[in-house]
Amino acid sequence: MMMVHRRGYNIIDHTADIGVEASGKNLEEAFENLAESMFAIITDESVIENKIKKEIVLPRDSDTEQLVVDWLSELLYLSDVSGLVFGKFRVKLNDQLEALAWGEPYSRHKHGYGAAIKAVTYHLLSAKNNKNGVTIRVLFDV
Amino acid sequence: MWQGPLNKIDEYRYEIPQDYKGEKGFLRMRTSGMIYINDSMISTIRKDNAAEQVANVTSLPGIVGKSLAMPDIHWGYGFPIGGVAATSFENGVISPGGVGFDINCGVRLVRTHIEAAHLESKKIRELVDQMFINIPSGLGSKARIRLTKNQLEEVLELGAKWGVENGYGWEKDLDVLEENGCLSSADTTHVSQKALERGKEQVGSLGAGNHFLEIQKVDQIFDETAAKLFGVHKGQLVIMIHTGSRGCGHQICTDHLKVFEKAVKKYGINLPDRQLACSPAGTPEADAYFSAMSCAANFAWCNRQMIVHWVRQSFEKVLGETAEDLGMEIVYDVCHNIAKVEEHIIMGKKQKVYVHRKGATRSFGPRRQIPQKYKKIGQPVLIPGDMGTASYLLHGTDKAEESFSSTCHGAGRIMSRTKARSQWHGEKIGQDLSRKGIYVHPASWKVVAEESPDAYKNVDSVVDVAHGAGLSLKVARMIPLGVIKG
Repeated sequence: MMMVHRRGYNIIDHTADIGVEASGKNLEEAFENLAESMFAIITDESVIENKIKKEIVLPRDSDTEQLVVDWLSELLYLSDVSGLVFGKFRVKLNDQLEALAWGEPYSRHKHGYGAAIKAVTYHLLSAKNNKNGVTIRVLFDV
Repeated sequence: MWQGPLNKIDEYRYEIPQDYKGEKGFLRMRTSGMIYINDSMISTIRKDNAAEQVANVTSLPGIVGKSLAMPDIHWGYGFPIGGVAATSFENGVISPGGVGFDINCGVRLVRTHIEAAHLESKKIRELVDQMFINIPSGLGSKARIRLTKNQLEEVLELGAKWGVENGYGWEKDLDVLEENGCLSSADTTHVSQKALERGKEQVGSLGAGNHFLEIQKVDQIFDETAAKLFGVHKGQLVIMIHTGSRGCGHQICTDHLKVFEKAVKKYGINLPDRQLACSPAGTPEADAYFSAMSCAANFAWCNRQMIVHWVRQSFEKVLGETAEDLGMEIVYDVCHNIAKVEEHIIMGKKQKVYVHRKGATRSFGPRRQIPQKYKKIGQPVLIPGDMGTASYLLHGTDKAEESFSSTCHGAGRIMSRTKARSQWHGEKIGQDLSRKGIYVHPASWKVVAEESPDAYKNVDSVVDVAHGAGLSLKVARMIPLGVIKG
């Protein structure tokens, strides 16, 4: 495994797939960085403008790891059906997850081409508290 | 570096003994593991954790026989890629991780009457460019048609038949598809709105990553009798399609994995990896997944059916002859990410099992439920190479009963995409391939770098192990002339 360092997250290089390790001073910030890293992988870290805003609400019906999978899976679904890619996120966690995602329509010309992420896996999935806040690790199927 | 035990059984078989306790020391294997590889592949296997995943799979309740891995084994999530496991139909489990997100990712081979030598390279380029227009590929690709919700539900229940009934392909196409292109266990009740929304615009699109569409030339025949039966000969032009169930299948897997996460707790199952989540056969969770997985499988068969139709149209337009006159008949269609209910002889006894094939191809021998015309030899087995290298046509065998009638599915990645990208430039690879007479039309040159032939195990050696072990026998080798990469 090879780690490539980025801001707020590291890309984990796995033989067949790609993973990410995202941190934040709290769970909300880690969720925001995690989402940003996923679209960085998809668009090869292109600039994504905040032209369209989407609201996302998800139930917290299981553990934090499951919420990680739900959050990223919801964004993949939204991206797939709307043709949008997202670059900025605000996450609030209470008894449910409430989030805003800003983005714009994906353009091959503008955003280039990173890796198409098929889905979010549970393999190596973890969300851990540490002295700096929270670190979440997740592996994608690409 | 994986340090576990690999005991050599013979030239092509290595065993992970049942007393292995796993990396963490507390794995309880219910059976042993078997990996089909040769000596030269050992060092590659030990480089990552795929072998540990073979051992982990043995912890599935009701596993029957051994946990297997085909010669193209590489590190996946939950199951290894190339992993095969059978679980008892009565008291085993079903695990979506043993199928993967790209349900019914598979391969279809179309033959032609065209001799490659008679076609100028300019024509190959025109064909590839025309197909690139007709068959959307790459990130976020949408198909040429958009289905209504009702139409999509019909696709999910009927599979390739929906395509044929709606003018995409020929009636006889259905005779030469695995399961005739439809799993009757499909039931849209358990397919979410999200999966339907994602599927509506993607029937007839190639997708991205390792999926491809290739014009190939048959460059070697190993078995004249089988080749004749499959309608292929040296020098012939053939077309290979490699794609799956797109966003619809990914969503179905994602939706049901969440349910299975809870099922694991509900039924008190202990697993070494969350991605191995499973539910006992016959439970509502398992039944719902199996019927939805069947829908995704049908989506993929219809997807490949629509693509074949547009491939035929592209050939008609460029060459000015009808697809019938060009002899563009389907040789076969296989799926390599699937769970199937099958009967196998296990320890001398016939048993009904769920065979999970995650990156493995069914390899039914003669007399099994395969097209009548192939019954003398066994089913065609289609092994796509990686970009720019050979692909293979093999046939299934009775010997493959030992692997629940399974064989390899491709070359198998040995290098991560990021590393591949940092080592090579897509355009340069394109030029090199062009010098070898291969025209590449990619949706992105970066993907060409990621999918560089050197990032994969050598497909020839993978196929040689499958052949040597008798899991499937070589019929023909094809080399690419024109490539569309997603």
